[in-house]
Parts: sequence; C-alpha cells; structure tokens
Amino acid sequence: MTYRTTAAQALIAVGALTVLAACGGSSSSSSGSSSGSTAGGAVHGGNLVIARTADSQSMNNTTVFDNESIWIFEQIMQPLYTVTPNGKGVMPWLATSYTVSPDKKTYTFTLRKGVKFSNGKPMTSADVKFSIDQASAAAKGWGYINTAIKSVSAPSADTVAVHLKYPWAPLLADLSLFSNAIVPANYGGQTENQFYQHPIGTGPFKWDYWHKGSALKLVRNPYFWQKGKPYLDSVTWTNVPSDNTRELQLKGGQAQVDEFPAWSTVSSLKATSGVTMNLFNSTRTDYLAFNEKAKPFGDVHVRRAISFAINRAALVKAVLFGNGHPANSLFPPQVPYYQPATKGLQYNLAAAKAEMAKSSVPHGFTTTILVSSGFSDSLTIATILQSELKPLGITLKIQTLDPNTANLNQQSLKYDMTLTYWTMDIPDPDELATFAVDPNSGAKSFFTAYNNPTVVKATHQAEQTLTTTARQALYNTVQSGSAADAFMAFLYYSPYAYATTSSVHGFFVTPLGNYHMENVWLSK
Amino acid sequence: MGRMTFVFRRLLQLIPVAIGVTILVFFMIHLIPGDPARTILGIHATPRTVALLHQQWGLNRPLISQYWLFLDRLLHGNLGVSLYYGGSAVSLIISHLPPTLWLIIYSSVLAVLISVPLAMIAASRKDGARDQVVRAVPLIGLGMPPFWLAFLLIYAFAIKFHMFPVSGWGSGFFGHLRSMFLPSLTVALALAPVVIRSLRASMLNVLGAEFVTTARSKGIAGRRLFLRHVLRNAVIPAVTVLGINIGFLIGGTVIIENVFAIPGLGQLMINSIFQRDFTVVQGVTLVFAIMVILLNLAADVAYASLDPRVRFSR
Repeated sequence: MTYRTTAAQALIAVGALTVLAACGGSSSSSSGSSSGSTAGGAVHGGNLVIARTADSQSMNNTTVFDNESIWIFEQIMQPLYTVTPNGKGVMPWLATSYTVSPDKKTYTFTLRKGVKFSNGKPMTSADVKFSIDQASAAAKGWGYINTAIKSVSAPSADTVAVHLKYPWAPLLADLSLFSNAIVPANYGGQTENQFYQHPIGTGPFKWDYWHKGSALKLVRNPYFWQKGKPYLDSVTWTNVPSDNTRELQLKGGQAQVDEFPAWSTVSSLKATSGVTMNLFNSTRTDYLAFNEKAKPFGDVHVRRAISFAINRAALVKAVLFGNGHPANSLFPPQVPYYQPATKGLQYNLAAAKAEMAKSSVPHGFTTTILVSSGFSDSLTIATILQSELKPLGITLKIQTLDPNTANLNQQSLKYDMTLTYWTMDIPDPDELATFAVDPNSGAKSFFTAYNNPTVVKATHQAEQTLTTTARQALYNTVQSGSAADAFMAFLYYSPYAYATTSSVHGFFVTPLGNYHMENVWLSK
Repeated sequence: MGRMTFVFRRLLQLIPVAIGVTILVFFMIHLIPGDPARTILGIHATPRTVALLHQQWGLNRPLISQYWLFLDRLLHGNLGVSLYYGGSAVSLIISHLPPTLWLIIYSSVLAVLISVPLAMIAASRKDGARDQVVRAVPLIGLGMPPFWLAFLLIYAFAIKFHMFPVSGWGSGFFGHLRSMFLPSLTVALALAPVVIRSLRASMLNVLGAEFVTTARSKGIAGRRLFLRHVLRNAVIPAVTVLGINIGFLIGGTVIIENVFAIPGLGQLMINSIFQRDFTVVQGVTLVFAIMVILLNLAADVAYASLDPRVRFSR
C-alpha cells in the first residue's frame, strides 16, 4: 500500500514511495520544460541509463511494495487496463473492451489480438486467468486489492470473465494495478521463485540482467504488440544514491535520467543547458497525523487549532524550495473525485486561537512529534511546527527515533503527532479512503484511530455505487468530513522531479508515478 | 626464526582478535531496539512470520547457543539470507568485494607513487624551498573532506575535460583502471601527506647515519644513493603509517564509493542499513574487520621482508 511513514521514507532513501498502478498512456510532458513527444522525428536505437536512488527488491509484481521494483517490472509485464496520462482513469491495454452483466457482477473482457509474450508465445485467456488468480492469492502482497473478485473464468481463448462478490465500482482501476499484470500460465512451467528471477511478459522490454546493488538492464522485446516500439535498444537502471553524483552523471553524459534530484537543486538544473528539468504532477500528499488515543488529540478543537496554525506555504518553501502546493483535502488533485471546493483548514492564526479557546486545554499543553532519524525534511517540518504552535501555548518536543522504532510506534499508536504520506496505487480513491478513514481496516484510519461513522459509511457506499455523480457526492462527504474533523492536518502536494538530458524525448511520468519506456527515444 | 614462522606466529596472534570481532558482530543484531524479527518484518509482521524468523535465526535459544550457531554457520561460509533480496548474503558480499579491493590497492599504489618521489625531493634539500613546498602543499589534500575533493576532481577531469568517467567502476581490467582512477586518486591524495612526512623524516635520519657517509665517501651519490641506501632503510616507518592509514581507509571507502557510485562493500553497507538488511550489515562488518586484520598482517610481513632484524627480534 502506498502509505509510508517518514520512517519508511528514510529507509527507501529519497522518497521512493510505494505506489502506482499500471502504466500511463501516451507521452507528453506536464509542467516544467517539455522533453518532447514521440510523434515525429523519433529515432530507434540507443541505451538509456536511468540513475536512481535505490535498488529494486524483487520482480514479483504480486508481492512487492517498493517503487524501484514496480517501475521496472512495469516495463516487462502489463495489465488489461492502464492508467491514463492524467492519472484519473483507465484505458484499454491488453484488453480492448468489456461488457457488464445486468446484475453488475460479471465483467467480460475481450483480449487484444496478436499480443505475444517476449518468448514469442501468444497471450491467451488462460494466461490472464492464471495471472489474476495469482494476484488475488497474494495474501502478503497486493491480494487485498482483489477482495471483490469471486472468481475468474476463461470462456474462450480471447475472452475472460471476472465474477464479483458484489457490484464493485473500482474494478477497472484495480485491474490496472501492476499486481494484475499478465504472466504466462503456470509461469511457463517454472516455479514462482524461478520465474521472477527473469520474468516474462508482454511489455516493451524483456529481461537482461540484474547485478544486485549496482545495475539492472532490460532489452527491447521484439514481439511487443505496439508496432515500431519501443524505440530504445535497452534501458539500464543504475544505483546512485548520492544526489550530487546523479547530477554529475547527467552533466557528464553517463546517465540520461536523474531520478529525484534534491529539491534544492531543481532551480539550478532548470537553468542548466543540455538538461531538462521535469516536474510531473504526482499524487503524493504529506500529512501531520494525530493519535486520537493520546490526550488531548481526541478533542476535535485541538486538532482543528493545530491544523489552522500551520503555514503550509512556508512549509512548501522551506522543504520543497517552492516546488509544491499547500494541501486542502485528504485526496490530491490528481485523484478522481478530488473536490477543489473543500478548503480544508488553511493557515489562520485567529481561527486557531478561537478553536484552542473552545478546547479542553484552552491554555495549551506539552506534547511530542515523532520523527524518524536521518530524514532531514521531517526534522525541518517538525522545527517549523515547534515555532508555529507556540502562539497556541503548545510546547512541542521533537522525539527522534530510529526509523524502525518510529515506524512501529506509529503503527501501534504509541505517539502524539507524527509525519506521514501517501501516493496512489490505483486511479480510484477507494484504496486511500479505506486506508485513511476506516478504523476497522488494518491501518486503523492511517494509524490515528479516527472514527467518524458518517465518513466511514460514505467510503463503503462509494465502493458499490456505480454512477459518477452519486460517487462524487459520497466522496465529497468523505473529503469535507475528514477535513472538518482534522484527523490529520493535510500539509502539501509535491511533484515527481526527474531531470533528463535534452537528448531524451517522450519521457513522461503519470501522477501515480509509473512511466512508459516504450515511448522514450534518444536523439543523436 | 624464519619468515614463515614469523608469519605463522602473527597469524596465531590474530585468532583472539578474530574471536572478538565475531562476538561484536554477533551482538549487533541484539542492539536493534525491541524484537528484531518484528522490527524487520514491519507492517507485514504476523505472529506466524515472527515465530518463523525467531526459529530461523535461533532467537528462541539461549544466547550462548545462539553464538555457537552463528560461529558454526560462519565456519561453513554461511552468513544467512539477505532480508531484502532474499538470496545468500555471502554471494552478495562476494559480488561487491572486487571494487573495494581495487579501490584499496589502486589508491595505495597511487599513494606510494606520489609519496616516494616527493619525499625524496624534500629530503634532498632539507629546509630548502622545495622541501617547504612538498611539506606544505599536500596538506591541502589532507585537510579537504574526501567527498569535496572527489567532487572537485570529478568536475575538473570528468565534466570539463572528459578524461575519466564521472563515476561507476567500468568493465574489464582497463575499464576498471580508467574508472577507478579518480576515486583512487581522491583516497591517495588524502593518504599521501602523512606518508610523505614520515618518509621524509626517516630519510633525513638515515642521511645522517654513518653508512651513508661511508657510501658517499665511496663515491655513491644522487639517485643511486637515495634508492639503494636511503630509501630502503627509511621506508619501514612509512610502511607502518601506510598500513594504519589503509586500515582507516577501509572505513573511508564507504564515503568514496557513495560519491563515485562504485558498487563495492561500502555502498552495500549503506544500502543494507537503509534497507534494514541486518544479515548483510553483519556480514559486511565482518568482512571489513577481517580486511583490517589481514592488512595488519600484510604490513608485518612487509617489515619482515624489508628488514631482517624484525624477523629475529620477536
């Protein structure tokens, strides 16, 4: 799932959020200077090197949660539907169309014709059934995404039927998640473990090698179903944890893509000739979480007071060097059903003091914010909060713990306040909403013990409501209700930063974090 | 006492050190706050997986028998399974060993190549202008933080003049030789000043010795005098200094490997810490410790080769 505490952040080094659903669609650049489109002038050939912050963990798409693995196996294995470039919907991918039964409990998908695996064998409905069954069975992994699926059948070689336990609005979004990507039935005769050592799929690239801890290389899949693609001969991901070294590799021509340059260097990279600094819209949202089991955070006025007292614009400036926006909702703008009209509780010191006066602790109190060690952004935020809460009479102590302990304390609700974040895995708010507001989900309302029955009810009603307007109304209730309750203070939205050399074209990252290497080409 | 006996005795003396190291490394896993199994499993911890890990690591046994188990596995070359990748920790460590060995050997060679001529130049005119320059200028290398020096070298030689790659470690012998030059030079420049100073001081000592006067009176002078008579006798203190500093350097490779993106043990160590891969951290610590021990042994053997008195006096 996509939440990570700041603890986990430190572990995965530079914000490698657990994320994204399947892949995004066509290519174009969002904000920042554009790196060009694939239309016209695209040339074939070349090896692209992506210098990244950390290594992959495993290629098992049904169990692995880290982005550095996900972003690679998405180039190898593909799902039936994929995320649109704006991150708000899905488009046909290995399936071309579907029909729904009158009771809304059976979806029948028609598979794309002429799709072959990278070993040359054609993809059939048996492969699809096997793949989705494996994903549903992954109890330690992404299996929970498929909870609404009762069974999968293969009525003919090119149709697949998904039978649901009950009508389920997010089904297509769920099927677009990488965990539901298609692999050969029975892993082509191998064991699961053997298969994922060098996975096979229908994607634009196929396996070459992985020197653990240093580099991973994929080469062109000659059987890829999109004519003329991919353009590149190969893509190599190298592990370069140092921000400075990644930047130097880019400038020295040793790498063509720098994953996550430090925020402090974004403006200088924008001004560097030969370098394109991309800031792609993302679904990353940072939050300040309150533990409602700890006094006095069960008191809504205390939470509202603190939420009002935070100058979010100042945080964006200090932490992101201006490369972000203050948050107003539990949902980020790139999520379907995001409600811009939810103002949230924005910076207003008078309102903060008024809330404090109404609270159980009108004269203030002493509390702690849990921060994991080794992560400077969190410490910056905590230090700013310290001074911002002073006018309310709140003495804030910063408790720095090693990431593991901080993570455990958060999950077992042994904290007062802490910093956390989320990025979307699927183009539907259901996963986030359930994780964040349902106290009976495994996550105990984002580990805050927040419980507003109206909000919880709306969240679950939205799962089984199939019309867009009705779902919007329900998610409006979720967003405005959770904002008014201030169960977390919504801090800011930040983009995905990728610097590339100007010879790179067609590199685009969806708001869910995934990218399509088949659209990327290198000019000579 | 012959050279082999000397080496053998030094090896025996290393055994208690090695045992000490294994005890420290073993207890590392117990320094993790709380239950290490639960910590490692994190959000995915279930009572079953925790129990499984306890059993796998023998955490449910008495401490002393856990240590025996650890030693037993160690002697069979088993450092456990990488918690991050799931594969054998030993093979992961072995694949990261060559770049680190390259870095250590290459930088030692460069340090010697830089230090010996400079020390000779300095000692040949004590307190002269060139002596002062040689004594002062290399100190800049010592004073600069290695990562800063590294970036300066990258900027100058890789970005401005494309003479070397920015980072990485290349492929094939010549690829390594080229890619590893800047990182090794970074290390060598930090190492050289200390070696130069000690070599210069002991050369000056030797220059005042009676046998040098004798040699001079026999008409030996210049380069021949320095190389055959002075250097050989002056080099022992420098070998000690070099040996000790390379020991420190093994720790320092962590920074250099990070800056130059070299897939060596230092990099593996840092990544494993971030990935909570405790078994690999344990393994790398052990390998680093063994390297330091072996290096000390190598320095001892070097004395013995250079100076016969060392062999007989112990």
